[in-house]
Amino acid sequence: MTRILLSDKLDNCVARWRKAGLTVIGPVKKETFSSYAVVEKAAEFDLGLVLPDRSIKGLFFPQTEPMLEYTIKKQAIDTKDFAPPSDKRIIFGARPCDASGLAIDDPLFGWDYKDEYWFQRRNETVIVSIACTRADDFCMCTSLKLAPDSTKGSDVLLRPLQNNKGWLVQELTDRGREAFSQIADLLQEGSEPAAPTVVVAEKFNLDACVAWLQNPANFDSSFWKEISMRCIGCASCTFLCPTCHCFDFQDEGDTYSGIRRKNWDSCSFALFTMHTSGHNPRATQSARWRQRIMHKFNYFPGKFSVNSCSGCGRCSRQCPVDMGITETLQAISTLKP
Amino acid sequence: MTENIQGAHQNIYKPAIMKIVDRHDEAPGVRTLKLEFQNPADHEHFKQTFRTGMFGLYGVYGEGESTFCVASPETRKDYIECTFRQSGRVTSALASADIGDLVTYRGPYGNRFPIENFYGKNLIFVSGGIALPPTRSVIWSCLDQREKFGKITIVYGARTVADLVYKHELEEWEKRDDVDLVLTVDPGGESPDWKHRIGFVPTVLELAAPSPDNCIAVICGPPIMIKFTLISLKKLGFEEANVYTTLENRMKCGVGKCGRCNVGSIYVCKEGPVFTAAEVSRMPAADL
Amino acid sequence: MTIQEQYKTRVRELLSSGTVKMVIGYKAGTTADRRRPLFIRTPEEADQLLLDSACIANLSGYLIAEGLLSDEKRVGIFLKPDGIRTINILAAEAQLNIEQIIVLGFDITGQEVTALQGETAGDFSALIESIKEGAPEALKNPLIDQLEQLNPKERFAYWQAEFSRCIKCYACRQACPMCYCRRCIVDCNQPQWVNTSSHTLGNFEWNIVRAFHLSGRCVGCGNCDRACPVNIPLRLINARMAQEVLGSFDHLAGMSDTQEPVLASFKKDDSETFIL
Repeated sequence: MTRILLSDKLDNCVARWRKAGLTVIGPVKKETFSSYAVVEKAAEFDLGLVLPDRSIKGLFFPQTEPMLEYTIKKQAIDTKDFAPPSDKRIIFGARPCDASGLAIDDPLFGWDYKDEYWFQRRNETVIVSIACTRADDFCMCTSLKLAPDSTKGSDVLLRPLQNNKGWLVQELTDRGREAFSQIADLLQEGSEPAAPTVVVAEKFNLDACVAWLQNPANFDSSFWKEISMRCIGCASCTFLCPTCHCFDFQDEGDTYSGIRRKNWDSCSFALFTMHTSGHNPRATQSARWRQRIMHKFNYFPGKFSVNSCSGCGRCSRQCPVDMGITETLQAISTLKP
Repeated sequence: MTENIQGAHQNIYKPAIMKIVDRHDEAPGVRTLKLEFQNPADHEHFKQTFRTGMFGLYGVYGEGESTFCVASPETRKDYIECTFRQSGRVTSALASADIGDLVTYRGPYGNRFPIENFYGKNLIFVSGGIALPPTRSVIWSCLDQREKFGKITIVYGARTVADLVYKHELEEWEKRDDVDLVLTVDPGGESPDWKHRIGFVPTVLELAAPSPDNCIAVICGPPIMIKFTLISLKKLGFEEANVYTTLENRMKCGVGKCGRCNVGSIYVCKEGPVFTAAEVSRMPAADL
Repeated sequence: MTIQEQYKTRVRELLSSGTVKMVIGYKAGTTADRRRPLFIRTPEEADQLLLDSACIANLSGYLIAEGLLSDEKRVGIFLKPDGIRTINILAAEAQLNIEQIIVLGFDITGQEVTALQGETAGDFSALIESIKEGAPEALKNPLIDQLEQLNPKERFAYWQAEFSRCIKCYACRQACPMCYCRRCIVDCNQPQWVNTSSHTLGNFEWNIVRAFHLSGRCVGCGNCDRACPVNIPLRLINARMAQEVLGSFDHLAGMSDTQEPVLASFKKDDSETFIL
């Protein structure tokens, strides 16, 4: 016997969590576009999406966020901090790849200097993931040694029931248990089996790719030019990626007062690494694509023992020229290390 | 005055406020600012943590922040000196700031020159143009405890006589009998009264022929100078492990998060900016 | 022989005779409905070529990327009429030498692909003339008409909602063959003309500045619209500006490689006094 949450109780759950002061967030599709958005009622959720167009990242690391407010007076500067928001949130219906992405970035944002803007939100947010029973041609979690029912980064994992009437509940963390204790009476015991998770075929051999990437001789391989020839250098892959974390600071205002913001930035942009002198270590698009792949599968795991990719496939799914990590790693896995 | 709008938390991106107490023009377009902390707690943090080689982010609100080294030595922590070339948005704003104006500073960040490992050794500093400031921090850190080091040689060159920075200090070093100073300018850059060498830094270094025995080399300069100086030092018999340099990459956060200073697997802001030549030679050259 | 096979033969000829150093075309993509840009450098590589009604991307931006044409050798490229107009503009704006471009022209009507006769951009001038004649009708879009019905406040609200999704990834700019500036105005920071943050103001600034820069230049290829990862209907803005330019100046972008840029040319006898 396991605990079950029935779909027709979900609206009650949303109401209960809202009443308890939680902001309830979940996958929502509006016309041509889907994202994780705040809801008032369960009916607003679209739990049938393979995954939302936008990743979960922006809820923890917004595309633009005020850091500081400055006012310059005659003989003084007032600096006010924008504290990270402290509202408590629950994200219902996250995909395991999105939840994994958050866990992947934790060590980066905590590396010696702790980025409170990330961790405050991480601490105040409960993530309830739903295991995937559907996938599309771009899903590749299994190639990253993750799975449609990975628990990484989630506080609760739900598995859809075979009869499609609800979910099996698997509480994973204290944060998850606490959120579900508030709806304990809406859950029930049951023996209904879970639907099988979707089979996501392995698209490349990750170990073979990593071995190739780690060989210093391959840094200067002509492969990089060939694979990235059609890359147009936009940032849609990096901005939709649940793990890409690069950012920029921008001051907006005038000499007397204004706001310093932390904005998404991307290794795809030529200006990203341009020195004041005009020298650019990554002057070509192929060098920038190489950096993105190397960073995700060689450098980042070297530092934090985890690949900076959770296999959501958004990079390939949304690419204007049909490129992406899958194609590159598929090609690499056929090369001699 | 700093305060939090709500709650107590640590904003790692919040800079300290500094007052400009002095400024000098070093060379055309190159300026030094002397900065003093306005908040004693910020100053205390600096005193506790700063070691030569570390860098900071200097800023002007409304324009942003720019990364350069702390040009003053770890033996003088009452103030910070920074030297920069006016070129971009932030450096232009810093250059137009006057004595008494307030600017910002974040740091010190990064690693350092392990000068206690240099005790008892001969030191040769090789530097070019606007890259003297990081070297100067190490030079003064050593000169301020002169007795701990062996022979000290400084080889410094610039494109023209006008482009030499810290001209007063060059004079001072020249007068000292415990420092060997070799100055040079590129051919054609000399003035009619130029009494020093004419030639490129690596060539002049080879002529000066410092002995690699028990010697540490610290080199800073534009990439092309570094490249040829490394070759010259190799010719002179220096081992890569005894040659130190600093890398300057574009940075925004300074604390290993914003992702732009990577050279290969190295985050220059966290694992640098000070590296031995041996470490640099393991980095992918195309990414430098 | 299908058009695809005819063109494969043509591409092999162009490459084996040394007429061109490369042909830019299409090949199969990840899914059945996707096509990828293909760079063909040997006759054998032409085997991968695919030409069907899914080949809608305007590939001409690749012509001016990373010095492709700087060796003055010829390049062949698959272009629809909008693409041919694009290279006319690029030539008129001195971004490429039109002599270097061999056009492999095609058009799509519904599911059907037809070959266009001609080899250089100039060979298609009659076709482009006919496009101009049909332009007032072709530029019509029911959604634009709907938006025109709204009052300014409602229209503002519509665009505010659309732009609120913008994440400033600049996929629109990067996908656009007309956005070739070495340093885009958003990347110029002395002064910072456009806010780089993707908040309401920054998103409006970016999208409106881009619309103005494309006025009289956009051929309506739809690259930006398709590239947008958050599905902002950018095509509407550009089509509306094209209507305006056509109505006010009788100008359709890309008629020839000598056409004057409509918003960048000045005549002493201009009827508007504000210019002087």
